[in-house]
Amino acid sequence: MKHLSYYCLRLALMASVLAGIATMARPVAAQALRVATSYKLMTLDPHYADLNENNSLLSHIYERLVSQDEHLDPQPGLATSWKRLSDTRWEFKLREGVRFHDGSPFTARDVIYSLTRIRDFLTPPSGGYRSYAKVIKSVTAPDPLTVVIETNTDSPTLPLSLAAIFIMPHKADGFASTDELNTAARPIGTGPYKFQSWQSGEIFRLTRNDSYWGGVPAWTEVTFRVIESPAARVAALTTADVDVADSIPARDVPGLKQRGLKVESASAARSNFLQFDIERETAPGVTDKSGKPIKNPFRDKRVRQALSMATDRSFIAEKILLGYGTAASQIFPSGLSGTSPNLKVTAPDYGAAKALLAEAGFPDGFNVVLAGPAGRYPGDSESLQAVTQNWARIGVRAQPVVSPFSVFATQRAKGDYPAWYGGCSGDAVTFCLDALLASPNVELGTGSLNYGRYSNPQFDAMLAKAKTIEEGPVRSAALAAATEFVMADYPMLPLYHFHLITGYGQKVASYAVHPRGLTTAMQAVPAGQ
Amino acid sequence: MTSAIVGRLSQALLVLLALSVIGFTGIHSVGNPVYNVVNIETATAEDIRNATIALGLDQPLWWQYCRFMSNVLAGNFGTSYIYHLPAFALVMSKVPATLELATTAMLIAAPCGTLLGLLAGRRQGGWIDRAVLKASVFALSIPSFWLSMVLILLGAVAMGWFPSSGRGPTVLLMGQEWSFTTLDGLRHLALPALTLAIPNVALIARLARAGTAEVENQDFVRFCRAKGLSSRRILFRHTLPNISIPIVTMIGMQFGGMLAFAVVVETIFAWPGIGKLLIDSIQLLDRPVVMATLTFVSVAFIGLNALVDLFYAVLDPRVRLS
Amino acid sequence: MRAFWKRPERGRAGFARLVLAAYVLLALAAPAIAPQNPYDPLQIFGWEASSPPGTSSGGGYVYLLGTDGLGRDIISTILYGLRISLVVAVTSTAIAALIGVTIGVSAAYFGRWVDAVLMRIVDLQLSLPTILVALIAIVTLGPGIDRIILAIIIVQWATYARIARGVALSEIGKPYLDAARLLRLPTGRIIFRHILPNSIAPAITLLPIELGHAVALEATLSFLGLGVPIDKPSLGSTVANGFQYLLTGQYWISLFPGLALFGLIASINFVGEDVRRSLDPRSRSHDA
Repeated sequence: MKHLSYYCLRLALMASVLAGIATMARPVAAQALRVATSYKLMTLDPHYADLNENNSLLSHIYERLVSQDEHLDPQPGLATSWKRLSDTRWEFKLREGVRFHDGSPFTARDVIYSLTRIRDFLTPPSGGYRSYAKVIKSVTAPDPLTVVIETNTDSPTLPLSLAAIFIMPHKADGFASTDELNTAARPIGTGPYKFQSWQSGEIFRLTRNDSYWGGVPAWTEVTFRVIESPAARVAALTTADVDVADSIPARDVPGLKQRGLKVESASAARSNFLQFDIERETAPGVTDKSGKPIKNPFRDKRVRQALSMATDRSFIAEKILLGYGTAASQIFPSGLSGTSPNLKVTAPDYGAAKALLAEAGFPDGFNVVLAGPAGRYPGDSESLQAVTQNWARIGVRAQPVVSPFSVFATQRAKGDYPAWYGGCSGDAVTFCLDALLASPNVELGTGSLNYGRYSNPQFDAMLAKAKTIEEGPVRSAALAAATEFVMADYPMLPLYHFHLITGYGQKVASYAVHPRGLTTAMQAVPAGQ
Repeated sequence: MTSAIVGRLSQALLVLLALSVIGFTGIHSVGNPVYNVVNIETATAEDIRNATIALGLDQPLWWQYCRFMSNVLAGNFGTSYIYHLPAFALVMSKVPATLELATTAMLIAAPCGTLLGLLAGRRQGGWIDRAVLKASVFALSIPSFWLSMVLILLGAVAMGWFPSSGRGPTVLLMGQEWSFTTLDGLRHLALPALTLAIPNVALIARLARAGTAEVENQDFVRFCRAKGLSSRRILFRHTLPNISIPIVTMIGMQFGGMLAFAVVVETIFAWPGIGKLLIDSIQLLDRPVVMATLTFVSVAFIGLNALVDLFYAVLDPRVRLS
Repeated sequence: MRAFWKRPERGRAGFARLVLAAYVLLALAAPAIAPQNPYDPLQIFGWEASSPPGTSSGGGYVYLLGTDGLGRDIISTILYGLRISLVVAVTSTAIAALIGVTIGVSAAYFGRWVDAVLMRIVDLQLSLPTILVALIAIVTLGPGIDRIILAIIIVQWATYARIARGVALSEIGKPYLDAARLLRLPTGRIIFRHILPNSIAPAITLLPIELGHAVALEATLSFLGLGVPIDKPSLGSTVANGFQYLLTGQYWISLFPGLALFGLIASINFVGEDVRRSLDPRSRSHDA
C-alpha cells in the first residue's frame, strides 16, 4: 500500500507540473482560436468529396473563384468579375497579386488544372465535384488573369457551380493523387490560413497566412478539434477547452447562456419534410383500421392536403426544436433567393382536415408506416412522433419506424416505405427543387431524392425554364412561381427548417453563422478589436 | 499440454471464422453503407452507383467475403468507408483509451472488492457480511447505462466535480496517446471508470468472501489463532494468499468482459475507445471497422481467458492433473 | 419451482418477494391504473411536454413524475414499460431454457457426433462476451419486440444446454434408463418423460438469474437504440430518451424509469439468490 500511495503522489505531482505548463502556455498564444466541430475532416484533397465536413475545414486553405454570402448570392472570390459571353461561354477575370502559400503566383493555369483534375482525373467513390465539372467542355486562358469556360449545354448558373470548387496550385508533372495530398505533401492553397498538421477524424491545425491578399487574418493559430458527440462539444465549450463549438443542440442553449457563453443561430438553407409514395397503386405498410391492405391513399391530392392541414409545425419548431427551428411551408426558408413570400405556414385545422379525408373516401382514416432516420437531423425521430400525435386526431394512425440513417436509406431506396421523413440542402434552392420535386430523370440528373416518384410535367417545364434564366431577381421570381404552383398540389409536406446554433466564449466578439452550416475561423471576430 | 493448446487454438480460430461470417453477412443484410459515403442530399443516382462500384459492393456477397478474408490473411482489414483510414490501424488507435479505462476500473475494483470480501468472510453472518452481501446484489442489479447516468447526475451536474463526458488531454507515451498522466485526464477518467468498477467490486467481494469463509474454517487458521496471531495478520498474511488464485482468475476474466462491456459506458461518456467505435461503426455500417473491432475484442477476450486458464494450471497442481 | 412459493423464512428475501409481486401486479394492472396510455397518441398532450413532476395535466390528472420530451406521462410510461420488460424477459428466458435444456439433453442422449457438434457450438458461443453476441444478433435481426426476444434467446440457450447436458449425462448412466431402453420406449418419450424432468432442476436454479439478465439486456439494447419501437418505449428506451435531457436539468425523464428498472432487477436477483440457496443444499449449510 505504501508503494501505491507513493506512486499516487508522484502522479499527482507530475500532473500538476503538466497543468502548470499548460496554463503558462496560454497567454503566449492569446490570438489562437480553438474550435470544437462536429465535422470530421476525412481527406486533405479539396476535390475528393463534396461534403460540408471537407468544405468547411478546407476553406481555410483553399479558395474558390466565386464565394457565396449569407443569402447564398454569388460574390467575387479568386475571380473579381465574370460575364456571360454567350449561352455556353463564360469569361472570368482573376484577382491580381494573389499568391499560394509557397509563394508561387495564382494564375489561370491553376484554374485550368483544378477544373480538369476534377473532370478528367479523380474518380472518388462519392463522385466528388464531378456533377459540377461535367458540363465544362473546355477551359482556356487568353491571358494569365482571364479564364474562358465553354460548356456543353446552356449553363446560366456556372458561377454558382464554381462557388463549390476549390482551386489548387497546378503541378507540372501530371495530377496530384488523393493519397499524395493526404500523406506526403502538405496542402497548399491561397486561403487565409496555412496548413500545419492534422490527424484524420481528430484534430486539424492551421497558422495564419500573413501575406493573404484579403489582409492579415484575425487569428494567429487555429485548432479544430473533432468532437462528434454534441454533449461533449457543449462540455468542451463550458470548460473553456475551446472558444467556438458548432452544431449545439437547442436544449443546451439555456445552460450555455447561464454560464456566460454566447450563442448565435441562423436558419439553415435546407428543410426537413415528409414524402409519400405517389406513383404506385398500392404501397407497403398502408392498411385500413382492421389491418387489411388498401390502395395507396397518397395518390389522392386531398389526402396529402388533409395530412398537411393536420400537421402542427409550430409544435415541432417550439417544443421539439425549442424555438431553434422555423415551421416550413416550402423548401428553403422564406427570404432566400428563389423562395416564395406567398407560401405561409398555417395553424392545424383538424376539423377541415378530417372532412377532406372523408371526401377522399377515408372517413375512418387509415394506418400507415412512417419511416425516418434516428439522430441524423435535429428533431428527426421526435418530429415523427409529434406528427403521429397530430394525425391520430383525424383518424390516421401512423406507426413511426426509425433506424440508423444508412439502414433507413437502403429501405427507402428499395421502396419499402409508404411515407417517410427526409432532408434536403444545397447551394441554391434549385438543387432541392430538382432533387425533390422534378420528375426522376437519370439523364437530366433530376429527381434523385424524389423517391415517391412524384411527376408533374407542367412543373418540370416551369422549373426547366426558370433554370435557364441568369442569376438575379427574374430567375428568383420564376422559381418562386414554380414553387407556388407545385406546392398547391401537396407533393410533399415541408416540416421545418432547423437552425444552426454555434456557441462561443470570451475570446470571440461575434460569430456569423453560415446558412450552409460551414464552420470556419473566418466567421469568428476576435474580442477586443 | 500441447494437445490442449492446439485444441484451444483451433477452437479460437473456429470462433473467429464463425464470427467473421456472421458479422459480415449481418452487416450486409442490414443496409447499404454507400448512403453514408455519398452526400445523400446532393448525390445523383449515378453518383450512388459509382460509389457502390468503387467500394466493391456491387459484387456478390460470397465474393466480397472471399476477397475480405484473403486480405485479412495478409493482415489487411480494408479501409474504413467513413474515415478513409486502414481499419485495423483505426481500431488500434482507439485501444489505449479503452485500455486505460478498463485498467483504472480494475485498479479500483480489485483492492476494494478483495478488502470487502475479506472483511465480510471473516465474520460470517455478522453485520459487515450481511451488508456486503446485500450491497453486492444491488450493485450487480444496476444496469450499467443507468449507473453512468446517475454518476453523471451526481458527479457532474449536481456537484460539478467531474466532466460529464469525453476524454481529457492526451500525452504521447511509448508511441501511444494516454490521458491518465494529466490531472484533467484523470478527472475525465473518474466517472466512467467508477461505472465499470462498481459491479466488479461486487463480483470480487462475493468471491473473496466465499474464499475467506472457507479458509477461515481450516485448521491452519485455527492454529494461527491459537498461536495468538492478530486477526489482521492472519487475514492478510495467511488468508489472502490462499484465496488469491480464484480472485486473480476472476480479474482476468472480467478484464476481458470489460473490453466488451465498455460499449455501453463508452457510448454514454463519449469515451473515444473501441466500444464506442464499434457502436458508431455498426450504425454507419462501416463494415471494415466493424469486422476489425469484433476480431480485436474477441481475440483479446479469448486470449485473456486462455491466459487465465494457463495461470490457473501453473498455480494449482490439481488442475494440471485433470 | 415449489421453493419459490413456499412461505419465506425470516430474513429470506421476503421483502424482495413482496416487491417483485408488486411489480408483477402493477404491470398486469397497468391499463387500469395508469392515468394515460402512453402508446395511444390521442391520449398524449404534446404541448405539455417536458413538464416537471407535479404539473397538472389537461387530462384532469397530475403528472406525478413529470412528462417526457413528447408529453408522455412518466408514471404511465413506467407502468407500460414494465409490461414490455417483463413480457420480453419471461418469454425469452422460458423459451431459452426450454430450447437449451432440450438441446443439452439430446446431446447427452445421442452422444457421438451430435454431442460433439452441439457442444462445439455451445463452446463457440460461450467463448464470446454476451453483450457482443446480443449486439450482433439484434443488428442482424433488426428492431422490434419479437426480435429482442429472439436475440435474448440466442444469448441464453447455450448456458442451459451446457448445464443440462452435464446432468443428463449422469442420469443416462442410471439403471432406470437402461430399463426404459430395454422396454423399447420411443426416443422422444425417453428424452421428454424421463431424462428431461430429472435434468431440469439445475436449470431452474439458473432461471431467476437469467431472468434478471434478460431484463437488463433488453433495457441495454433498447438504450442503445437497437430495441423496441420508438412509439412503444420500454424502461430502457425511456431512460435513453431522457439521457439527452439529463444535462439540461430535466432529470425526471431518465431518473425515475431507471429507478423502477433497478428495483425490478434487484428484486429478481434477491429472490433468485434465495431460490438458488434453498435448492442447493451445499450452499445452504454455508450461508446459514
